[in-house]
Amino acid sequence: MLTAVVTYGSNGPEVLLSASEGEEGHSSEYTYADCSIIPEGKEPSEKIESLEECDPGPSPIMPEAKELYWGASSFVLFALLMRFFLYPRLRRSMDARYDSIRGAHAEADQARSEAQAEVAAYEAALAEVKAEAAARIEEARATLEQERSTQLAEANARISSARDAAAAEAAAAHEAIRGDIGSAAASVASRTVELAIGRAPDAAAVSSAVEGSMTSGATR
Amino acid sequence: MFALEFPPINEILRWSDLFPSFNKIAIITVAAALIGSLIFLLAGNADGSKAPKGVRNFAEAIVEFIEGQIIMPTMGRDGLGWTPFLLSIFSFIYLCNVPGIIPVLQMPATARMAIPLFLSLLVWVVFIGVGFKHQGLGYLKNSLFPPGVPGPLYILVTPIEFISTFLVRPFSLTVRLFANMLAGHILLVTFALLTKELVQGGNIALVPVGILPFFMLVFLTAFEVLVAFLQAYIFTILAAVYIGGAAHPEH
Repeated sequence: MLTAVVTYGSNGPEVLLSASEGEEGHSSEYTYADCSIIPEGKEPSEKIESLEECDPGPSPIMPEAKELYWGASSFVLFALLMRFFLYPRLRRSMDARYDSIRGAHAEADQARSEAQAEVAAYEAALAEVKAEAAARIEEARATLEQERSTQLAEANARISSARDAAAAEAAAAHEAIRGDIGSAAASVASRTVELAIGRAPDAAAVSSAVEGSMTSGATR
Repeated sequence: MFALEFPPINEILRWSDLFPSFNKIAIITVAAALIGSLIFLLAGNADGSKAPKGVRNFAEAIVEFIEGQIIMPTMGRDGLGWTPFLLSIFSFIYLCNVPGIIPVLQMPATARMAIPLFLSLLVWVVFIGVGFKHQGLGYLKNSLFPPGVPGPLYILVTPIEFISTFLVRPFSLTVRLFANMLAGHILLVTFALLTKELVQGGNIALVPVGILPFFMLVFLTAFEVLVAFLQAYIFTILAAVYIGGAAHPEH
């Protein structure tokens, strides 16, 4: 430890520095090796007056001029580049793409509207055609029904007349057969009576009796 | 007894200069500006007519984040002119924050006072300039004498408004960013040193215990990724709020 001794002599005040016991002159016990951080360019064995000569490193609070200078320069350049070159370029191409997307959306909307209009027109036409087809079908059905009724009536009339004709024909045939059977029966009866009595009966009476017999037989 | 000697804060902030007046922080800030410029340069060169991908997608996402999440809520459509400035602030701060978790660098440039201080002062100058540009001298009146306050209360309100608007804002912007990033850096150093001492300290019994601070170190590293983004976002949105407030006092 250093001690300062001040004396007043003829030449004014004099200062004499002296070391305490155990110390050699002005040297101390400290070297840079005692520092927590050895300053750059210093040898660990180099002696120092006090630990205050150790490089403590930067202050954690105070800004350093070189950091301020480099940081500010870097940011200002970056901000200027961004303002005048980088961002406008990016923004222009983004806007162009957004515009094209918006245009494509508008075109798509228009195409969708047109398609919807076409679909509506098609559906309207389809409905009209369907309605017309239904009307035509209904008309055809009515026509067919009418024709069917007419033809059915005509067929029924034809069947009825044919039936009447057939009945008349059958009745005529029946009468003819009846006449033939009556003649045959009268002939048989006359021959039978002739064989029984030996003479021919009255033809008119036999015919009348046969006729009467056939008539009463038919009604019985 | 186990004891761990933690280095002074100064020591964990001390690096050799590459050349006089150019240290690690300077490298990080220059690299942040270069990388930011490169990203937006490459994005601008990419074909913009097609769907964005890669670096262009990244750059457009940042631009849309700044416009949609920061400018529109705080400044409205009128504030879109501030996009390049706020985009620069956000990108620069983020790129200065991220080196805190990048091996070899492992130091956020914003954990030193210089960068936050400069950016805060810049924002301070800008928002005051915007206030005077939009409102003239009425900016001071609107700032210091808010309408609707009973007259006698101005004795109390005006000094408070002066301190909060013109003094505290740059200070809080600076300290918020600086202190958060420095605290994160110190935490990472703490757990890294603790892990190293436990694992390599020579006491085999303590080696398994070293896993605990190691997991904490990994967790904090992941957390610092979030903090790096969050601090850049907070600084930028506050800058937008200050500028928007100066331009439109009615907001």
